[in-house]
Amino acid sequence: MAEPAVNVIQRLRVDAVRCDGVGICAHLAVELVRVDSWGYPIVSRQPLSARSLRQARAAVAACPRRALFLATD
Amino acid sequence: MTAQLHLVDTDLAEVPAGPAAQVPAQPLFGAPVYYVGADSNAISELGVEDLFAHRRRFGHRPHLTGAAGAAFIDTLEDIGLTGRGGGHFPVARKWRTVRTAGRNAVVVANGAEGEPLSGKDAALLQLRPHLVLDGLACAAEALDATDAVIWLHEGAEATRASIVHALAERRAAGLIEPQMRVVTGPARYLSGESSAIVQALSGGPALPQFRLASAATSGVNGLPTLVQNVETLARVALSAHSPEAFATSTLVTVAVPGRRVVLELDRATQLGDAIGSVLGSTPLQAILIGGYGGSWAPWVDVSDVMLAESDMRDRGLSLGAGILVPLGAGQCGLEQTASIISYLADSSARQCGPCVFGLRGVADLVRDLAEKSSGRRDLPRLQRFLAEINGRGGCHHPDGAVRMVASAVTTFAADVSAHLAGRCLHDGAAHLGQRRG
Repeated sequence: MAEPAVNVIQRLRVDAVRCDGVGICAHLAVELVRVDSWGYPIVSRQPLSARSLRQARAAVAACPRRALFLATD
Repeated sequence: MTAQLHLVDTDLAEVPAGPAAQVPAQPLFGAPVYYVGADSNAISELGVEDLFAHRRRFGHRPHLTGAAGAAFIDTLEDIGLTGRGGGHFPVARKWRTVRTAGRNAVVVANGAEGEPLSGKDAALLQLRPHLVLDGLACAAEALDATDAVIWLHEGAEATRASIVHALAERRAAGLIEPQMRVVTGPARYLSGESSAIVQALSGGPALPQFRLASAATSGVNGLPTLVQNVETLARVALSAHSPEAFATSTLVTVAVPGRRVVLELDRATQLGDAIGSVLGSTPLQAILIGGYGGSWAPWVDVSDVMLAESDMRDRGLSLGAGILVPLGAGQCGLEQTASIISYLADSSARQCGPCVFGLRGVADLVRDLAEKSSGRRDLPRLQRFLAEINGRGGCHHPDGAVRMVASAVTTFAADVSAHLAGRCLHDGAAHLGQRRG
């Protein structure tokens, strides 16, 4: 898949239906994901910077439920 | 009852002068509709409008294929019709999205009213089936659809029988129109959620799903899909028969102990007059506006608010699907809230963590609050839960539940303080209605 253009705004999103609250994302993307009172991820809605994009990609790749993804506005 | 009829009459009298005034606005019902107790049979003194009576009132439905369909969407935009399933989204915009998204569109009349306290949609399906079917036929033609579905709850027998009979009447009369079929989903609260309908009609379970694209763009089997509430479609039909006949009315369902009443009122009607026409001068302390996923508000603050959605929004409220639950002066709002949030938690589709665990957690805390057994830290914990859950489900079910509980904590602030101190402000007072109608 081609890399999106530099000026494309991307955000980390979670499919709450797929998510089982495994929680690996919160360890890999500490600046983007925190967990709620029940262990489910609360994902930052901010546009991803170049630095946070790396964290986001790691979290997306590690999710065993394939519940995380990068969304373009 | 005379008060309600009078309001409808006033509505007719106030149609603006000019060419538009030649065709009076047509009511959907023309009289209040009642449900007694938990019965799901809608009762109206005017009875069922069969095909003969429907055609006598409206004549032939105009055909909306080709250019007529595009022109009709412009009409829908001009009259400003919005969705009556609760979202109040502009109908014309939704239809244009479906039209531009591609071929082989699917159109769905959503008659799966989830809330036990609602009733306007079942009333339309039972008493005015041909208005709904005309509306669905209009949508199917204007959007060049290849499938038209009436989506109902399993077990809604009176509703289903009415629609099946109405479809048979239309076939027997040889109406030239798109084929329409009835499909039923499980009798659950969330079966009427748009993404649940899309998933069910695509061959999956009738459960909400997480979707990036709207159903209008990519719905049933990836096809452009219109999911439209049945009241909205009935209004579409009125507009198609004559744009001037489009009623500026609003349907509300007033739920009081032992009965529900569906009223057709001018949208300039104030809440106080709407409720007064059902309850007379019964003193009220609060009202739940918009149903279980709506907002509580102190009665004195909102009795002058008009039913028009724009007026509601100015006050931070939404009429939603039109459900109004008045709370008598002697009732404990926290008890009511505990019972509703418990129902909403039980109604979770059990797919998303924040909904499955979060709503249960909220329901337990509100129950403790209602039972005056809350701990010192429970109120802040409740507030934290509400903040954490909001906006985090795959569908909007938890958001409505959060809104309702948050509004209860504000509206019943005095009750919250009293309950935390181990007292209830309504102990010993007459409990006018703890039963759900």
